[in-house]
Amino acid sequence: MKATIRLRLMLLVLASIAFVWSVTLVSSYFQATHEVEEWEDIRLSQIARTLVLADENDLAVLSKAHFNARGKDEDGDSFEDEDDSPRDLLFQVRDANGRVLGSSPELVLLNAWNDPSNVENSTRMLMLGGRPWHTYTLHDGATGRTAHVLELANGRSDLAAGVARRISAPMVFALPILALLVWLSISQSLAPLKVLSKAIRTRDVGELEPIDMVSAPVEVRPLVDAINHLLIQLRRSIKRERAFTSDAAHELKTPLAAIKVQAQVALSTRDVAQQRLAMQRVVEGVDRSAHLADQLLLLARLDESDPLSTSIIELTSVALDTVVSNEKDALRKGIRVMLVEDAIVKVIAEPTLMRILLDNLIDNAIKYGDRGGRVEVIVRRSATAGLLMVRDDGPGVMAEDQTRLTDRFFRVTGNRANGSGLGLSIVARIVEYFGAQLIFRTGIGGRGLAVEISFPLADAPTES
Amino acid sequence: MRVLLVEDDDLIGSGVEAGLHQAGFTVDWAQDGRKANLALTTTTYELIVLDLGLPKMGGRELLKWLRDREKDTPVLVLTASDTVADRVGGLEAGADDYLCKPFDLAELIARCRALLRRAQGRSVEVIRHGSLTVDRETQSVMRDDERIPLTARELTVLIQLLTHQGIPQSRSRLEESLYGWQEEIESNAVEVHISNLRKKLGTNLIRTVRGIGYVVEKTS
Repeated sequence: MKATIRLRLMLLVLASIAFVWSVTLVSSYFQATHEVEEWEDIRLSQIARTLVLADENDLAVLSKAHFNARGKDEDGDSFEDEDDSPRDLLFQVRDANGRVLGSSPELVLLNAWNDPSNVENSTRMLMLGGRPWHTYTLHDGATGRTAHVLELANGRSDLAAGVARRISAPMVFALPILALLVWLSISQSLAPLKVLSKAIRTRDVGELEPIDMVSAPVEVRPLVDAINHLLIQLRRSIKRERAFTSDAAHELKTPLAAIKVQAQVALSTRDVAQQRLAMQRVVEGVDRSAHLADQLLLLARLDESDPLSTSIIELTSVALDTVVSNEKDALRKGIRVMLVEDAIVKVIAEPTLMRILLDNLIDNAIKYGDRGGRVEVIVRRSATAGLLMVRDDGPGVMAEDQTRLTDRFFRVTGNRANGSGLGLSIVARIVEYFGAQLIFRTGIGGRGLAVEISFPLADAPTES
Repeated sequence: MRVLLVEDDDLIGSGVEAGLHQAGFTVDWAQDGRKANLALTTTTYELIVLDLGLPKMGGRELLKWLRDREKDTPVLVLTASDTVADRVGGLEAGADDYLCKPFDLAELIARCRALLRRAQGRSVEVIRHGSLTVDRETQSVMRDDERIPLTARELTVLIQLLTHQGIPQSRSRLEESLYGWQEEIESNAVEVHISNLRKKLGTNLIRTVRGIGYVVEKTS
């Protein structure tokens, strides 16, 4: 069964009502029983008083004839007799000497000829012949007579039950009506939720404006706010994605334009050397677009941020690998790449991403550095972090451009190298991934650019 | 026909340069705005092919600088962004035509020629002068029905003179139209080309203006 607020509220409210009613009913029943008993007691005492004052002859007649003290109920049918036991009142009147002046003969059968209660002027409950009896004994001082009255007790509980039934009957009728009213009230109260879900359901996929529900009740407001917050975030992220896609398409056009132009040059020239050169440039253009596509894919994958398995990595060994793999490009520009290791630094990272990060940094330093310049890869350790720095002595980056270096497709104006404008975005993303920090500084000897990344240490000494 | 190509991308630049060269243009290739600026202050160009996304001095800035100096050299703009706003912005800044990357080399050359024709007040690629017909597209010269073989340089000099009929062209102006930045200028080259042209086309087509240069008179 599906959990619905309506059903739960219904059950809770009705159960509460039923519980309170039951308690009321039970207490009313006892109240009624008590009332009935008091009234019966008074009646018994009055009968006893009458019998005490009765004539001896009358008593003799009475003892022969059964008499019903309670009489018939006026409605005649509201008291349903559930038992066949005699309703009759049994009595015995004695004079001052203990002589029986009149008595119901049944007393002999009940083995109660001599008054078993022995308590005067009060009601008592007795078990006679396996049945409960109410008895009342009255001793009249003036005549010296004693009247003893007995009545079957179950007749009295019938009366109490009847009273209780009368009280509970309207409650039983009221319950379905109450249930209906509760149902309607809950429906009415849940209406704002219905409006909200309709507002969400009827939306187009692209429609991400905040939901306008000014009249929403206080309880629904947080839900609307939460949904709106989500919508705003979603819209921002979609906007960012679109901007990225459009930038990416834009960036891909440049190498494509180059490939097309070079291919057309190759097609139209009759000069074999020129043709060869153009075809070489076509290949170069394809390489460049492939590189760009790789970078884009990498960024997309990093954005998905599936958790990757990390391990403890020694920075120096990764740095050495990367320096070696970039040696060719460095040699071509006459740039010397040096690895400076001050300490053994172990960090928790993912090896492939670490390589990509370092590769991008060293590649950038070589690409944008001056011919015949110097690039340093420094691995150092501070008290709290493992530091990795790649710096060059090239033209550097102006302070106002440094803040934009990690923006996607941002390229410093004036640089002549064929970058994708994504390298540092990727670095920044990986840095974020590793929970590290990225800082730009001035490079070697007050020139160039230094990129410093501080990693949390894998073997950090526990805080003292 | 000297053209200034302003393009920062190595591959596109070299391709366009080669393509324009094949089509008979003399091409100077500047890789940033500042170099282009310098070239424009020292040399007269018939046409500028300009990439808008340039380092150092933006393409739009360069265009504005050019138009502020009342130079009405036709400008063909190349750009990777093909939004309407970009196109309108480029044209408003003073561009004469627009091509989006990736473009077709043949279209680029055709548009360059069209811009030059418009600048010279012509509507076809064929220049006629008396019985002489020069087709720039096929780079052929005909007198009546007879085809006259000319070298590329001779053709360039002839076209320079024919597109400026009645206006004497100095030796240095003719040299400018012949040689790009990378090319060595041979001394006496212009004289040699003029002499060859006179041999092939007759002595009275090109007249020497003493102390100034050479001219082809307008046909009445």
